Amino acid sequence: MGKKQLNLNVNGKPYELYVEPDKKLVEVIREEVGLTGTKIGCNNGECGACTILLEGEPVASCMMPAFKAHGKNIVTVEGLGTAQNLHPLQKSFLAYGAVQCGFCTPGMLISAKALLDKNLNPTELDIRQSISGNLCRCTGYKKIVDAVQGAAAELRGEKEVKWPVTTEDDIVGSSVTRVDGIPKVTGESKFANDYFFPNMAYAKTLFSAHPHALIKNIDTSKAQALDGVIGVYTSKDVPGPNIVGIMPHIKDTPVLAGDKVRCYGDAVALVVAESAEIAEEALSLIDVEYEPLPGVFTVEDAIKEDAPKVHEGGNLLLHRKMYRGDVEKGFSEAAVIVEDNFKTRMNEHAYIEPEAGVALFEGGVLKVYTITQGAHYHRGEIAVNLNLPVSKVRVIQTTTGGGFGGKIDVSLQVLVALAAFKTGRPVKMAYSREESMINSTKRHPYYMHYKIGARSDGKLTAVQAEIYGDTGAYSSHGPGVLTRTAASIIGPYEVDNIKADAYCVYTNNPQAGAMRAFGSPQASIAYEALMDELAQKLGISAVEIRRINGYRKGSVIPTGQVLTDGVGFMETFEKVVEKSEFNR
Amino acid sequence: MYWENYYLPETVEEVLKHLKDSNGNARIMAGGTDLMILVKNGIVKTREIVDVCNVKELNCIKEEGSLIRVGALTTHTQLAESELLKKKVKVLAKAASKVGSPQIRNAGTIGGNVVNAHSAADTAVALTALNAKARIQGAEGELEKPVSELYVEAGKSFVDPTKEIITEFVFDVPGENEATAFMRHAKRKALALPILNLALWLKTNSDKSMIEDVRIALGPMDYKPLRALETENILKGQPLTEKTIKEAQETIVKEIKPRDSFQGGASYKIEMAKVFLARAIVEAVSDLGGKIDG
Repeated sequence: MGKKQLNLNVNGKPYELYVEPDKKLVEVIREEVGLTGTKIGCNNGECGACTILLEGEPVASCMMPAFKAHGKNIVTVEGLGTAQNLHPLQKSFLAYGAVQCGFCTPGMLISAKALLDKNLNPTELDIRQSISGNLCRCTGYKKIVDAVQGAAAELRGEKEVKWPVTTEDDIVGSSVTRVDGIPKVTGESKFANDYFFPNMAYAKTLFSAHPHALIKNIDTSKAQALDGVIGVYTSKDVPGPNIVGIMPHIKDTPVLAGDKVRCYGDAVALVVAESAEIAEEALSLIDVEYEPLPGVFTVEDAIKEDAPKVHEGGNLLLHRKMYRGDVEKGFSEAAVIVEDNFKTRMNEHAYIEPEAGVALFEGGVLKVYTITQGAHYHRGEIAVNLNLPVSKVRVIQTTTGGGFGGKIDVSLQVLVALAAFKTGRPVKMAYSREESMINSTKRHPYYMHYKIGARSDGKLTAVQAEIYGDTGAYSSHGPGVLTRTAASIIGPYEVDNIKADAYCVYTNNPQAGAMRAFGSPQASIAYEALMDELAQKLGISAVEIRRINGYRKGSVIPTGQVLTDGVGFMETFEKVVEKSEFNR
Repeated sequence: MYWENYYLPETVEEVLKHLKDSNGNARIMAGGTDLMILVKNGIVKTREIVDVCNVKELNCIKEEGSLIRVGALTTHTQLAESELLKKKVKVLAKAASKVGSPQIRNAGTIGGNVVNAHSAADTAVALTALNAKARIQGAEGELEKPVSELYVEAGKSFVDPTKEIITEFVFDVPGENEATAFMRHAKRKALALPILNLALWLKTNSDKSMIEDVRIALGPMDYKPLRALETENILKGQPLTEKTIKEAQETIVKEIKPRDSFQGGASYKIEMAKVFLARAIVEAVSDLGGKIDG
């Protein structure tokens, strides 16, 4: 396939390029023009991180063949303003706190620019519609909407955006410009997938074809023979123990699965090739012989005595007990007892930036530029599994496009390091949205049974709960998450008599790990519903029962700790009641 | 590798020449918002792409005598923002405004939306209610076919994009006592396929007291936009009263057979169809300056 001439005008500058006819516009902008401010979040035209202006109109460059833009004008985030001369939108996004991880920011700015180019008096609805094709997982959109209003006001000549956000004189007690804010609004921030090195190769993971199976044989010969393939690696190519895990005493996750796969997210083989396309093609040439095993996909099934075992030690990973006082006595003092079963679902973090990393040797040190929420942990796992001293491994956290707990665990970090270690080349790995969802950790799905008692005056007397958390095929933070649930079994309410049993259970589902608030939200679904039911039965309001029982200074929590300082619950609660106009 | 060659012709003549020369190995791409996903997922394979985005003659919205002509490459944004459509053919402007996201509406075209042959494609549902015809050009010449007859099966159009191209859609300008309405419900306000959409074209007598004629189209119900013919018959010739609407609602409940799907349950879709039918009639009649009698 021959390269063809492609003429683009990007940010006012003409480019005469020669590219393959099936290149996508986002690839040409990032790799040929070299402007990496335009991001790839979903590669399906859904998330908006790749938004650019084509002849003034916002379009998704990830779903657009490059040649569609032949002879046309393109504006990317780099075309808005520079660090020294920011566009009002860029200043406003920083001033209003509309920039957090920064990964959706370039697309947001471009969509907002398209709006303001046509309409300097946008309503809130206009703004929300203009950014309706841009997903953000950090801000909740309100600050973005405020920022666009702020920029519109400056462009109308009414009110300038406060810039700089703070001067040295008024720094205490006021909002400050985020340290890494300016590069995030100009597109200069380097996320892991934005690193390019000379002679760089590309790696791809072959994931399991079964949720539970024995691996009988892996034949990589056809993949090895493909033109452009540098190497194909399996578990036996991992120099170290081939095991990782965030809980130091429960390392249970293979870097590359050897004799058994336990979920679809298991990596079975790793291909390094001259291009990502070749690596992808090579994956389809790897023959893996599986012997499928029966799987377990609910905790109910997993805890049965004759259930298939996900790990040799059995499916029950942890039983955390949180017992205090005497629940029998507590329930005997109750005027009303409520009781029910609850289930919550698995959640995907869905950070807009999928996992990515680049590894290379520099001066005898293996450097890994990657997304991470735990650089030191990742460094340790890379060193151990490659049999390298920790001093020979450096993990550099690149600007990370959202994590929410999902980027703490090892995803591709050891794999990309292994690829560079084996080939001696700089190697890049970038997961697609689909690969990210298959491989990444999730919020634990819970199965809960709760029983709560209260006196006729609304004071809680006892809580008894059995909680089962589905940690999927591997532990990750599972025991920590379930322990946290046991410790906050009744959330912010004071109860003297507690019996909580929290179980962490292996299944063949995707592994669950850390996610915002770490085991607390699931429990709140159950006890908050029952608090409402108690209030109803006692004939008091939903607000009143929480006022009666809410944590205050001096309250004792389930672990026995006495709260002495900074107990903000009641204050927060009263504000919520007021602002939500709950009593209206 | 997606494809080997990429052509950017500027006239319909050139488009047809490329298709003919490639002998079935080339395929038309309009906005590409659906096709790129089909190619990426290996559902559609093609050796060559004939990108028609530069064929300017197919990008237009014109009123000619008693007809409106919409070029097949008119984007959803252009449809949604067209003053002519907003004033006279609300159903099409509103349907286009609901597709995908601004990014998708700026690239995706009405022709692509129809040839993609999704039964709930918003503009196709609107065109069905408008009784629009598509003009198709191929090597063997030109033909005109109602949009409602362009569906072979789910996802497969009568129009073969390796051989022919829709050039435009043609329908009657709604007259003095005619109005249209479009209703859509989805899980989110953007980037979500409809749970249900409903397009209505309605004609009243001169004092707006009676329905003379009506067309109702819904998706997703069938392999193509569904005309609710029984419901239409119940409404024709009836006075504009709450009783008439109630009878039509009772009919549509029996007439449509939606499926349980990822978007929503069948019983929910039926309830929503009832609600949308009433809302669409009320809106169309009120746009004509009439009202529903109690």
